[in-house]
Amino acid sequence: MTFRNLEFKWLLRASSVLIILGLLVEIASLLWFHPLSFVLFAFAGASLIGLGIVVYLASLVFVASSGSENRE
Amino acid sequence: MTQILISQIILSIVLACIFLIRPSVTKTVGWKILAFIGLCVLPALCIVGGMNIHMQRSEQTKFCISCHAMAPYARSLYVDDPGYIPAQHFQNHRVPADRACYACHADYSIYGPLKDKMRGLTRIYMQYVSKPPATIQIPGGYDNNQCLHCHAGARDFEGNAIHSAAMDALKSNQMSCISSGCHDTVHNVTALDHVKFWRPGQ
Repeated sequence: MTFRNLEFKWLLRASSVLIILGLLVEIASLLWFHPLSFVLFAFAGASLIGLGIVVYLASLVFVASSGSENRE
Repeated sequence: MTQILISQIILSIVLACIFLIRPSVTKTVGWKILAFIGLCVLPALCIVGGMNIHMQRSEQTKFCISCHAMAPYARSLYVDDPGYIPAQHFQNHRVPADRACYACHADYSIYGPLKDKMRGLTRIYMQYVSKPPATIQIPGGYDNNQCLHCHAGARDFEGNAIHSAAMDALKSNQMSCISSGCHDTVHNVTALDHVKFWRPGQ
């Protein structure tokens, strides 16, 4: 297993954890009828999910860049 | 709608759990596509769906009046006096009862553009951290378009000689519907201790 492969797996894991946490927060905000539930969703849930998506996309870029380096 | 979104969220969680436990499955093309769906497409759709449901929920009357500062405004909807404009609209179902606040305040705080959304956050700050003001003022005054989006074009509104004479001034907000001496009894929350209330079903 290469170092880059290991890094990609950790990025994928980090992305999964962020998305799972964000989605759990979103479920909590949907089940809680309160003005703060919107704040919880927008500032915690959506931010965590968004960050998870960014980390996942970064991992794809990481794999693509390492692949092109290997070809060179 | 909420149930569909929750099913979608659960599916996303299941997929994310797979990639958390076994990230090595993404070596094959099929799993790569599934990873893209599970870690990018579905979560993005969950954000959009969640925002949509939260916005719809915030349009409900019970959402608005869940803030303590709004309680007197909710009470004013039950005043037994046709001179009270919001009460008259609410009691006669001229606006949907479950969305009564939003029907006349569609540009207020989170419903408006970004500047209004930021102002909406200060309302939440006032509710939970500082203290709401004694009288809640609408920044920039009440926009006549909130009345005109229903009344404009209506026969009894346009047929009224006073309305038709002042139509340009009303449409341009030069003359206010509620503070130019015509329909000036709105929520009037300071006078609620001295008025009679209507009880539904009586």
